[in-house]
Amino acid sequence: MVNILSYEINCAKSLGQRALADGTMIPYFSLKKEIGQNQKDIYEAIKDVVSKVLPKDREKTALLIGTSLIDWYLVDAINDLAYEKKEPYSSKKRSIDSYAKELAKEFGLSSFTMTINTACTSSANALLEAKNLINAGVVEKAIVVGLEVFSPVMSSGFFSMELLSTSKPKPFAEDRDGLVLGEGVGAILLGKEQSPYELIGGFSNCNSETITSVSSSGEECVEVMQKALENCALNVTDITAIKAHATGSLANDKAEMNAIKKVFKKEPTIITIKQHIGHTIGASGVLEIAYLLQNSEKNGTIMCNYFGFGGNNTSLILRKNG
Amino acid sequence: MKLYIKAYSSYTLNDELDIKKELKQKYKLDTRRQDAFIHLALYGGQLLKEKCEIKKDDELYLTSGVGNADIVQKTNTYMYKENQPLKLFDFINLLGNTTSYYVAKSLGMKGKNIFQISDNFTYINTLISAYASMLNSKKDAIICSMDFMCEPDVIMKRVMGLEQNSKVVSSVNYQKLSLNPDGAIAEIEFGLDENSTCKTEDKPHETYASYIVNCALRDKKDLLHVEVFEDKKRTIKVKSIK
Repeated sequence: MVNILSYEINCAKSLGQRALADGTMIPYFSLKKEIGQNQKDIYEAIKDVVSKVLPKDREKTALLIGTSLIDWYLVDAINDLAYEKKEPYSSKKRSIDSYAKELAKEFGLSSFTMTINTACTSSANALLEAKNLINAGVVEKAIVVGLEVFSPVMSSGFFSMELLSTSKPKPFAEDRDGLVLGEGVGAILLGKEQSPYELIGGFSNCNSETITSVSSSGEECVEVMQKALENCALNVTDITAIKAHATGSLANDKAEMNAIKKVFKKEPTIITIKQHIGHTIGASGVLEIAYLLQNSEKNGTIMCNYFGFGGNNTSLILRKNG
Repeated sequence: MKLYIKAYSSYTLNDELDIKKELKQKYKLDTRRQDAFIHLALYGGQLLKEKCEIKKDDELYLTSGVGNADIVQKTNTYMYKENQPLKLFDFINLLGNTTSYYVAKSLGMKGKNIFQISDNFTYINTLISAYASMLNSKKDAIICSMDFMCEPDVIMKRVMGLEQNSKVVSSVNYQKLSLNPDGAIAEIEFGLDENSTCKTEDKPHETYASYIVNCALRDKKDLLHVEVFEDKKRTIKVKSIK
């Protein structure tokens, strides 16, 4: 049994605006205290949430990050060398995982670190990977971080796909008109010690019809939800609530609603979170679970859905008991 | 931790082969909207497919030392140097798992699909992750380890921590892994932390350990491979099953 021992969250409190590279303003949920798009600020933001969930037995604790971010280290190297020809030449092994590697060193954690990059399912998949590592005895505990900070490039991509709302997110609403992006950093500590919150398990796959969306029937979502139930040895009637992916987009919300109707003859309570913190892409797996635990007093068994670009779909199942 | 290797494929990029043309003509794959990083991953996958059966629910792990630097460079140039709008498929190709999506499609896979990076021990940590996942799912897994050197290669050398005059290569290496020894060509053992005072030489690409494993498989030889970073080392042992 792998439990959620503690969690920490830093995300938006209210909807604001951010500017794209060409000056276009878009609705956006920013961090409570805005951070810059640079390695140092990003590192400090992750460090802040990790420091609040550190266990006593750090050397047996892995650190995994889930993010859809492109690599700022890489951007810097490109800017410095391809455009500016900065001299003298210097080098240091860097990748998107360097944040995890440096934090592991700073806090004395296990040298096993990993950064998962599967778009909107990134940190949800990181939670499943962490659970597997604990169950296999590779580590005793794992800190899973969900990370997403404002990126003009990523935001421009969503803007050019006409997926962004011009007003506010309205997940599952009839008058929904798109998603609103958000940034956030959260951390969840997993381990085998007793806790009121259990990560029972889940399922992840890559079977979407196209690289950017699931089919309108929601068949891909049906499969991932059913396999998650099967893996957790649960029936549909055991699920008391669903934390839906519910981005507020026309097509994907419809697909998820259709899928939920197919899996659950009697629909459990549906919870949507993106109207409060925006779509935090790769961070949403960790952030939305932390947000849910922080803001919901009801006990029960909750299915948490995440459907992303690159055909990646994940359903996690949690038990909250106290 | 121990797994069995059922099949492998390796390809190191050279000027003799037009991979995109080969993917289109020989393997009848749609290469539109993809870039050279994705094509290299697809090509290695097709070479593996020629050697073993790939099941639709096999798990896929794709790892890379740095990722697709070429597309980061291209999108940055468009947006910040040329003030051009971001092209839709460049945006899609920026996502790490776009490559693993196309690999899965080309191999008929619909199961678990993870794109991950792990500094300095990227291949061995991926083996560990795959092992932990397979213990739970009881499924086979395919690991694709790849590095693609963009131009100018000094960018990659800088983020790989290499000397400016180091030689770097683009390479893709696959293994099909199983918990079941039936039909295996080798067993592979690996572990987590060991303290070390050793130093190792610069690698020509970050996932070099995967390439070395495949060389041992090709030569039907046993292998002990050690990778060191700072004060830690990871060891891989490959034992050929003759």
